[in-house]
Amino acid sequence: MNERSISERADYLSRRRARILPMLAILYFSQQISFFSALGNGPHRDVDHFKIGAWVALSLALLFALATKGFLFQPKAVRDLIDDEGTRANRLDAMRLGFLFACFAAIAAYFIAEFQPLTVGEAAHLVLTFGLGAALIRFGYLERRAHKDG
Amino acid sequence: MGERLVNRLKERRTELGLTQAELAERVGVTRKTVNTVENGVFTPSATLAIKLAKALDLSVEQLFWIES
Repeated sequence: MNERSISERADYLSRRRARILPMLAILYFSQQISFFSALGNGPHRDVDHFKIGAWVALSLALLFALATKGFLFQPKAVRDLIDDEGTRANRLDAMRLGFLFACFAAIAAYFIAEFQPLTVGEAAHLVLTFGLGAALIRFGYLERRAHKDG
Repeated sequence: MGERLVNRLKERRTELGLTQAELAERVGVTRKTVNTVENGVFTPSATLAIKLAKALDLSVEQLFWIES
């Protein structure tokens, strides 16, 4: 793989990631609607356990996409280029916002628990959903803006 | 009073007949990073600023300066 194709490949993958991440974040949020609407409705049924398992798997996949270079099956040169200085700065910015959202969600969970009992799992679900979702949207936004000419 | 880092990256790159992608290749970053530096959206590290200046055959001070 020559230099030209490495940078072109990195640019293509980076653009694709910038397009996909916000869509995944929206999918992630929409997946939570059923969870939050059933909040406080008593013990989980079998189908709820399946949904929670799917949520954990998706959360881990998205966390991996956000926090690492990703693109495991690409050559190292391409992966290193995708994770250049600009991308790392965007990722840090996104994680900062995600951390703030996670803190706000934790505070919200604390207040909700005053009026409606919350399990540890439900509180963790709230914190992770808002923290990770906000970080993904921010990262996607910053990456798209970086690709925009002009 | 706010200060901001401005640059003549685009002007110099155009003078040398380079595209963003070609400059990006020379300094080992993606085209989008060069794009954000040119637009003033991203403040490059000292390392990247030196690499950019070298690739464009200028000193860092000629390429970047602070405007109040």
